[in-house]
Amino acid sequence: MVGMLKLAWVFLKIGVIFFGGGYVLIPLLHRILVDQMQWLTLKEFLDGVALSQLTPGPLAMLATFAGYKGAGLLGALVATVCIFLPGTALMLFISSRYERFRRIEAVNHFLDGILPAVVGLVFAAAFNLGRTSLTSARDFILLGAGFALLQFTAIAPMAVILGAAVVGLLLHFS
Amino acid sequence: MEKEIKTVRLREIAATFFMIGATGFGGGMAIVALIERRCVHDKGWLGQNEFMHGLAFGQILGPFSLNTSTFVGYYLRGTPGGLVAAASFIAPSFLMVSALSLLYFRFHELPELKSALLGSNPVVIALIVVAGIGMARRKAARLEAATVAVIAFAASTLFGTSALTVLVIAGCWGLWKGWRTGRLG
Repeated sequence: MVGMLKLAWVFLKIGVIFFGGGYVLIPLLHRILVDQMQWLTLKEFLDGVALSQLTPGPLAMLATFAGYKGAGLLGALVATVCIFLPGTALMLFISSRYERFRRIEAVNHFLDGILPAVVGLVFAAAFNLGRTSLTSARDFILLGAGFALLQFTAIAPMAVILGAAVVGLLLHFS
Repeated sequence: MEKEIKTVRLREIAATFFMIGATGFGGGMAIVALIERRCVHDKGWLGQNEFMHGLAFGQILGPFSLNTSTFVGYYLRGTPGGLVAAASFIAPSFLMVSALSLLYFRFHELPELKSALLGSNPVVIALIVVAGIGMARRKAARLEAATVAVIAFAASTLFGTSALTVLVIAGCWGLWKGWRTGRLG
């Protein structure tokens, strides 16, 4: 068992460094959880990464997994809250400044400028995902079918995603 | 900057983000696409511009699916709204990981869910592309803006430029554009 305070402190610290985001997190978590704290073995760590990828939440759901290993369900809760707390607090702060600063003309110009760049980044995310997960004709057929359903029908996207997951399960995609 | 917000109830924020958090397999940008669909188009809670600003801030700070949820929640109902949206979004994943962890540490095996993800992954990409097309139509239709979008795309995919760098440079372009039109007008 791992002390709850220790658990909270370690994940708070990770949450602060986490601002960098995304895949910076894997080597960082590995160093802290496996090498320094030895809360997880290497195999558990890798399985935990795979497991947290199964959920819609961010990669940092690995905190839930490590917390569970260290101190059960309560540990999972403490670790999860702590890893997301710093970033969420900062995001709340930015959101609270947002409306105020928007009244400044220069800020508005700046914000207008980033809009098309956001469009580019959205497509970049799709491209990067596609580069790793579109490998066969089957994938492209699903992509096309999904696109048609989402673009031209009113079917809820959640239904389309879950439907595709069921197709994968039933046909034993591997 | 008049925004007409009918007060959205916290319960509705919670229900919406819980649903998104429970079904948005694919994570990251897929979640963002779902939030855009539900909150901007279906419910009209906030405008496209505000939403994309929130997404931009979220990208700078790490887990942007969570950050975008926080931003929308805050926009609607201040700090309680932001916290409710964030917690509701994370809750389903938390429950899933907890349940899977229990199985894992008891049986030392991962459940066979890989084939489900292999099925949903291409559709998730389609979802992101559809969201991207919608945003592009409204925000990158003119030549100059479209060029910025293409450059941002290329910088991110070809050169691995960080989102922060891309957004700051684009922001400076916006400043310059504003200054130029201000001078001409």
